[in-house]
Amino acid sequence: MRKIWVVIRREFVEKVRNKWFIISTVLGPLLMAGFVVLPIVMAEQGPSQRKIVVIDVGAGEFASRLLELLGGALPLDATLVQVDASQLQTMTDSLNVVVGAKSLDGYLIVSDAAVDDGRVEYRGSNASSPADMRMLEQVIRQVVLVERLSRVGVDPSVVSRAQIPLRMQTVNIRGGRLTDESGQSAFLLAYAVWLLLYIAILLYGVQVMGSVVEEKTSRVIEVLVSSLRPFQLLAGKVVGVGAVGLFQLGIWGVSAWLLARQRGRVLQVLGVDASGAEGFRLPDVSLETLVIVLVYFLLGYFLYAAMFAAVAAMSNSEAEARQAQTPVVMLLIVPTMLMLGILQQPDGTMAVTLSLIPFCSPIAMPVRWAAATVPGAELAASIAILALTLLVVVWIAARIYRVGILMHGKRPTPQELLRWVRVG
Amino acid sequence: MRNDLVIDIQGITKRFAGHTAVRQLSLAVPRGAVYGLLGPNGAGKTTTIRMIMNILIPDEGVISLFGSRATRGLSHRVGYLPEERGLYRKMRVLDLVVFLAETKGVPRRDAKRQAQAWLDRLGLADWAQKRVNDLSKGMQQKVQFISTILHEPELLILDEPFSGFDPVNTQIMKDVVVELARRGATVLFSTHIMEQAEKLCDSVCIIAQGRKVLDGRLAEVKRQHGGRHVILALDYGGGSVPSILSDRSLVAKADDYGQYAEVELAPSADPQRLLEELVRSSARVSRFEIAEPTLNKIFIDLVGREAATAKAQEDGGDA
Repeated sequence: MRKIWVVIRREFVEKVRNKWFIISTVLGPLLMAGFVVLPIVMAEQGPSQRKIVVIDVGAGEFASRLLELLGGALPLDATLVQVDASQLQTMTDSLNVVVGAKSLDGYLIVSDAAVDDGRVEYRGSNASSPADMRMLEQVIRQVVLVERLSRVGVDPSVVSRAQIPLRMQTVNIRGGRLTDESGQSAFLLAYAVWLLLYIAILLYGVQVMGSVVEEKTSRVIEVLVSSLRPFQLLAGKVVGVGAVGLFQLGIWGVSAWLLARQRGRVLQVLGVDASGAEGFRLPDVSLETLVIVLVYFLLGYFLYAAMFAAVAAMSNSEAEARQAQTPVVMLLIVPTMLMLGILQQPDGTMAVTLSLIPFCSPIAMPVRWAAATVPGAELAASIAILALTLLVVVWIAARIYRVGILMHGKRPTPQELLRWVRVG
Repeated sequence: MRNDLVIDIQGITKRFAGHTAVRQLSLAVPRGAVYGLLGPNGAGKTTTIRMIMNILIPDEGVISLFGSRATRGLSHRVGYLPEERGLYRKMRVLDLVVFLAETKGVPRRDAKRQAQAWLDRLGLADWAQKRVNDLSKGMQQKVQFISTILHEPELLILDEPFSGFDPVNTQIMKDVVVELARRGATVLFSTHIMEQAEKLCDSVCIIAQGRKVLDGRLAEVKRQHGGRHVILALDYGGGSVPSILSDRSLVAKADDYGQYAEVELAPSADPQRLLEELVRSSARVSRFEIAEPTLNKIFIDLVGREAATAKAQEDGGDA
């Protein structure tokens, strides 16, 4: 036990002293601050002013109504041009040049027929911007709707009353109690949990791999195994790197918490008007969520670190290890690729299945937990399966590690690996 | 007597895919011995040492250290310098030495004090806070050597300890090894450089192709394999000296320089008879010395022959 402790301390001290650790630890909160401040700064500036021309083919009622609405509160500067159908080609040719010269963003071609067949055309340099197009489309749809209704004799005041938009507020219920978080913030939290776990498990797992490969390539392993049991070495290494992970995540967590609490002040320091921050609420993280994330991080990290260590023990160089790690990384990518499915249906069959499969559950279950309510039985089953798998994987990995760290030369074939596990 | 064996190896065999590295090897290293494990490259020295260190497990046979089955529980009593040297390249020298001592169970505070003392002694005091990477190869070897002996092991196992050292450092290492041996440590080291073994060892074991060719106390070995060489300095005096030296019942091989000759006696020939013959031939003998063979000569005689017979056996097997 004392020897494991010695290995843990070396691993921890050396990793924490490393300049990359220091750089990434400092950079983390800076990035987070950026995430907090940037959206607000962006929201404040608002979308930029667009300049367009509305070409009215055949001079009609529709175009002038459209122009009325476009001239409203929208960040749009629209000019009406009326042409005959025969002149349209010449007109668009010359406007193309103007758009090319960037003094115009684009032009909209409409005619009265649009009310019947719903056809309008926009050409412009911002045609690929979803936000701009959505705004334009909304305005046109409104005008078309009003026109259609008023043609069949509906009172315009009735039409405008019918158009009062609907706003549904979503509030999460957890454990039978109403929370004060919106559905959107639960989604945001689940998303953050996924990102955090995926990055953390991969990042620290790969560090274990690097550490094993380093000992192997530098041949220091020969001295180590003469005084330490391979299992002591492996356990110390995995726990040591895990401690580095918790330490770094802790620093990031605390600084994120401080940033969130002191958001107003941070914004003030940066000279940003804090009033814009009101609409953007950060999700609250309950203690249970924190515990669940922590438990799954640890279980998941140990599971993957053991596999990464085994991969490293089979390899002769950093480059070889990076190649051989692909199957392990794939296991971690599976739940990541299906993440959207989990987020959309946290209680769906796929989400439930993934949160029980041991190699996916370290990510899938906390995400489900953050997004919705998970029955206690499912949680217990997931943790039990994961813990059991962890034991089996560690047992196998330790055996591969034990033989592999002293092997140099050819990479083992699957049959040889099997023998290592059986003999080890 | 058997209880006082620090290393007791009985009939170990180790096979790797395709070949047998060590065959039925038995060794006994008594307490306080400086024991040389000699053999040409690929003889199985490193494999044997790795099995003693419990890094490899023998397929057959038993290894005991200090009278009990070799386990890592004994590792704090053993200092091991592997053939393939290696250190954590990014660690600071002092931290590294302390860490390696701690894995042997030395308390941290003692380890620090000892490490500092050894670094001072071997002239590395100024490098204690530098990274291993910044050290020259010779200095790295010294650091590794320090971590081998820091925990004051009763048994030192050194695999090719002097390879890669310059003469000055070789001298320093040798002095330390001799000093530790005087203080009672048992030393087992492997080498293929016979001159070193001859000067340092009190016992040797020569292995070739995984088999033991010979072992015993160095003086004993020399006596057994000596006495067959005679160095002559004489004035021929027109006598029949050349015919005496070509008498195959007496002389197996003679290296005749005219005034000086190195003679290898024929098997079972008595050196006394050679002297008689020479005196009778009226040559004037100014020197007649029965020479002790060098370890190098014994080694080449034994291992050269061994290798040759093994080769012949293989050829015979193919035919």
